[in-house]
Amino acid sequence: MTLQLSGICKRFGDVAAVTDADLEIRKGQVLALLGENGAGKSTLMKLLYGIHQPDSGVIEVDGQPLKISSPRVAMHCGIGMVFQQSSLIPALTVRENLALALDQPPWWVGRRARALRTLDEHVHRLAPGVAAEATVASLSIGQLQLIELVKVRMRNARCVILDEPSAVLTPTEAQRLWSLIRELAADGVAVVLITHKLADVRACADAVAVMRAGRVVAQIQVAEADDNSIIGWMVGHAPPAVDAPQYREATLPVRLWIKGMSAGAARNIDLQVSGGEIVGVAGISGGGQTALAEAIAGARPIDDGEIILDGELLRAPRRAAQPSPQLGYIPAEPLRNAVAPTLPLAVNLALKDLRGLPFIVDRAALALRAQPLLERFAVRPADPSAAAGTLSGGNLQKLVAARELSQQPAAVVACYPTMGLDITATAQVYETLFGLARAGAAVLWISEDLDDLLRYAHRIAVMAEGRVVRVVDARLSTAFDLGRWMTGQTQEETGAAATRQHEVHT
Amino acid sequence: MSPAAVAAPGPFVHTLRALLLFGAMASGFFLLIGHHPGAIFIEIANASAGSGYAIGETLLRATPILLCALATLVPARLGLISVGAEGQLYLGAICGTGVMLAWTGPQGLLLPSVLLGGMVGGSMWAMVPALLRTAAGVNETISTLMLNYVAALAVTWLVYGPWKNPQSQGWPATVEFPGAARLANLADSRAHAGLLLALGLAALLYFLLDRTRWGLELDVLRSNPRLEHVTGRRIAPQVLLTMGIGGMLAGLAGIAEASAVQGRLQSDLSQGAGLSGFLVAWLAGNRVGRTVWMSLLIGGLLASGDGLQMNARVPSSVTLVVQGLLFVAVLGAGARWLPDRRKPRD
Amino acid sequence: MTSAEIILTGLLISALRSATPLLLALLGECLTQRVGRINLGIEGQMLVGAVAGYATVAASGNPWMGLVGGALAGAALSSVYAWLTVVAQANQFASGLAVWMLGFGLSAYFGSQFVGVRIEGFEPGAAGLTPTVVMALVLVPLTALWLYGTREGLKWRAVGESEANARAMGIVPWRIVVSGIVVGGLFSGLGGAALSIDTTRTWAEGMTAGRGLVAVGLVIVARWNPWLCLPAALLFGVAEALSFRLQAADSAVSAHLLHMLPYLASLLVFVITCVRLRHHPQGGGAPAGLRAVFER
Repeated sequence: MTLQLSGICKRFGDVAAVTDADLEIRKGQVLALLGENGAGKSTLMKLLYGIHQPDSGVIEVDGQPLKISSPRVAMHCGIGMVFQQSSLIPALTVRENLALALDQPPWWVGRRARALRTLDEHVHRLAPGVAAEATVASLSIGQLQLIELVKVRMRNARCVILDEPSAVLTPTEAQRLWSLIRELAADGVAVVLITHKLADVRACADAVAVMRAGRVVAQIQVAEADDNSIIGWMVGHAPPAVDAPQYREATLPVRLWIKGMSAGAARNIDLQVSGGEIVGVAGISGGGQTALAEAIAGARPIDDGEIILDGELLRAPRRAAQPSPQLGYIPAEPLRNAVAPTLPLAVNLALKDLRGLPFIVDRAALALRAQPLLERFAVRPADPSAAAGTLSGGNLQKLVAARELSQQPAAVVACYPTMGLDITATAQVYETLFGLARAGAAVLWISEDLDDLLRYAHRIAVMAEGRVVRVVDARLSTAFDLGRWMTGQTQEETGAAATRQHEVHT
Repeated sequence: MSPAAVAAPGPFVHTLRALLLFGAMASGFFLLIGHHPGAIFIEIANASAGSGYAIGETLLRATPILLCALATLVPARLGLISVGAEGQLYLGAICGTGVMLAWTGPQGLLLPSVLLGGMVGGSMWAMVPALLRTAAGVNETISTLMLNYVAALAVTWLVYGPWKNPQSQGWPATVEFPGAARLANLADSRAHAGLLLALGLAALLYFLLDRTRWGLELDVLRSNPRLEHVTGRRIAPQVLLTMGIGGMLAGLAGIAEASAVQGRLQSDLSQGAGLSGFLVAWLAGNRVGRTVWMSLLIGGLLASGDGLQMNARVPSSVTLVVQGLLFVAVLGAGARWLPDRRKPRD
Repeated sequence: MTSAEIILTGLLISALRSATPLLLALLGECLTQRVGRINLGIEGQMLVGAVAGYATVAASGNPWMGLVGGALAGAALSSVYAWLTVVAQANQFASGLAVWMLGFGLSAYFGSQFVGVRIEGFEPGAAGLTPTVVMALVLVPLTALWLYGTREGLKWRAVGESEANARAMGIVPWRIVVSGIVVGGLFSGLGGAALSIDTTRTWAEGMTAGRGLVAVGLVIVARWNPWLCLPAALLFGVAEALSFRLQAADSAVSAHLLHMLPYLASLLVFVITCVRLRHHPQGGGAPAGLRAVFER
């Protein structure tokens, strides 16, 4: 199946999500659709899948123009989509989810429905180890992806769109994903891989199309493109340079000391961060990293152990946690965890000092104090009276940084601070964080991006199942080492597992 | 991508739409029951504000509604949806009546003690759903609704049982409140000084909620309950505090109704003031200023029931229907009538 | 008869008859919550069902017609809730309360002419059960089998879990949400009619006395499972039947105090359920779409 998109346009209100997009998707080829967050790649593919309808432009399937008015129609035409947020319903069983995805589900879908036997066979064949009766919620991320692919393949999709599938995978899982994608292409399926990671492109794509601000700015064979030009197409200018912090040889006083601390999923953490040092933390999701950050920040009670900042006890079990100007906390998902969305920026900036405000609050004074802070941290729009919820992701993180970091804290804990941000915003957050380290603060930085950790951190602590399994010098490690330690595998196991996967699929 | 809060229609458009919608629905209903809409609207206006007597009745009806609205509003500033004003009103009436029945002190202190007893009673009743919420995460909307019925039954039990006035024929009630326990009347009307108390409390609440640090803390926690660690303020004490204050206000409404208006404790003393108060707080967007005049509006509507019955020969229960239609209209007017084109529906 | 005999004789039958209106409302609200909506207006829907059913029987003399009339009235009122929450996207709690208020007013208005009017309802059949009770009991397994075993039931459950994911599967969520609300209205109107035509054979203003609101809480106790709606409703029914019997056996204890029993019992199990749900990682069977409404 060959697909051609020509001149596709889509607006939502007065925002142009996709403008004049042309795309060619060839059978048996893997096309990587690359772009920053908000570039329009997800929207373009949703137009192809019938979730939205284009305002103008033509979609041709095998030379025939087609109007894809709903996902049902798309599935009928042989187009399948595997979503970033799983499209399966966690509380229902695998079989029930697959039944819903059928073109004509049978009338009776209960326990012993005979009509659903074929579904059971698909699952057994393509996703061994997964019970059809199991609820989707009980599956691991890897198994979830397999079932998503089953869903798509049982409809004999000739074009499969994958929306950012590798976002939360370890390096080993990502490798397996890439080989699955190559297999699909070998079967003659046209594959579109939506991603913002260059590694995905290099690993499995034949062609790459780059989108920026709603337009397709380049479509080229992977062999002919180099990394810098790809990034250039994505951001529209040369990649922003971030100063890698200087490596410091001298031993410096420890400023942040986590002593035998257990909280939530994090167990018995021993970690020391010196002034001026950036300690990165890597681990798969659910491995206790967030619990660690929350415990230091005071958002989670401590079960055992202590946290000491500049020699003073900061957190301990059964001790009420108070916000401290000496500790800055930058959480993931700022809208959910760090700001009051309906309140103005001026109030949000004053949240840590709330208890110190006078009984009668002078809102004008708050606004006055806020203005220079907003400008210093480049929050846009710099309007103290705007509601925090109207800010974009990058500006929200800058707002949080303005509040947490403006008073030169002794230590900063950043927990996935750049998740979901585009390249420019990420660079800005990094500048702020590393600038603080240069000024002498202790920085504990939890990130999902192993390459960035290796590039910018001094040491990296790898967590698995809630414990710190290794602390290594960032200059001496590779992403694969980190990936292995994160999943608790030894070298031999990694090799054996990879062989086993290969056997299953031949 | 901007996590924009999608804007509902602006306040002016919203009010206009609500009025039109209400007008249409109410007129439709009046026609359905065989009356001329215009005539009924005029009679409502007349019976609620057309004479000194009417205004007095309106103020009388509005007082407990205002207090119950404030009782809903204070917890709502923390994000709690409490419908318990009705029950807290009853408990306030019970406790205040209890004080009156057991009073042995000087007459001069009787009134303040009775009022205080009412406030404490309402407050205590509000602590039940508050504690259930903080200790067990029980949804306060459902628990307060169930507790309302328990409170109403408690009143019925008392007036049929231990507190029954042996001299009341047919309609069970307690003995009458002595004059020293009643709030003074305003001018010649049946409206009483409780209204002034309510207005004073409203002013105080406006100051506390909109101008002080405490009000700001409530706003922050309502906007995002996960900010406890940033502000150093915990939600649980605020739940107890706001519900307690709410209970106090509703309790005052209850004892004022029992002592000053009805003169004795009897069943159905609230006449739906609790639910009407909730409606008013919602219409007013939980802002104190608007709550005051919306209470007058609803009070006037409900007070016109008797006038409607006498003059227009329409059963007074029609005002209950009109009240419901008003609530529905305001909620319906907030509609984004056209699918919002700014937000990709995902 | 001794006190014990008074209390126990026919307690189960009495409890079933008491529980029937609530059971019907419970099944309705269960379905509505399964599509992700909490409808507090069910109390108003029961009331209009009660008055419409009563009026229909008074006019036609046929109790079956009365049940139908009540169900339709409940469905009609529930469409107001559907309009408010689906089209106007208003807050679910406020919309429910508005519908309750409206239903109360409408039933009080139209019911005023029926106060004191007697009607003939159903004749109790074998074991003292009326057709209404049997119908309610039969609806329990029917609803459960439909919800868990049919394609439509699966779609409803999918929508209640995640409208977004259901839409991606080609389902049109708003149609199902509206259906869930209106079917809930049918059931609750039926329940109200059962109350006025069968259980009490009278009409009085506000006669449902909070049964609808109790139903909203008890759906959670029943873990959104139609099978469990029966024991949940029976809990209320037993408490109520017990209170009548205790009153008859020993009039020293006030009837009004005993009337609190059903509400207190329902509140108690509701609290216990909330405590358990809190510790349960998956939300204990709550449709995921509802969690957003509850977690504020």
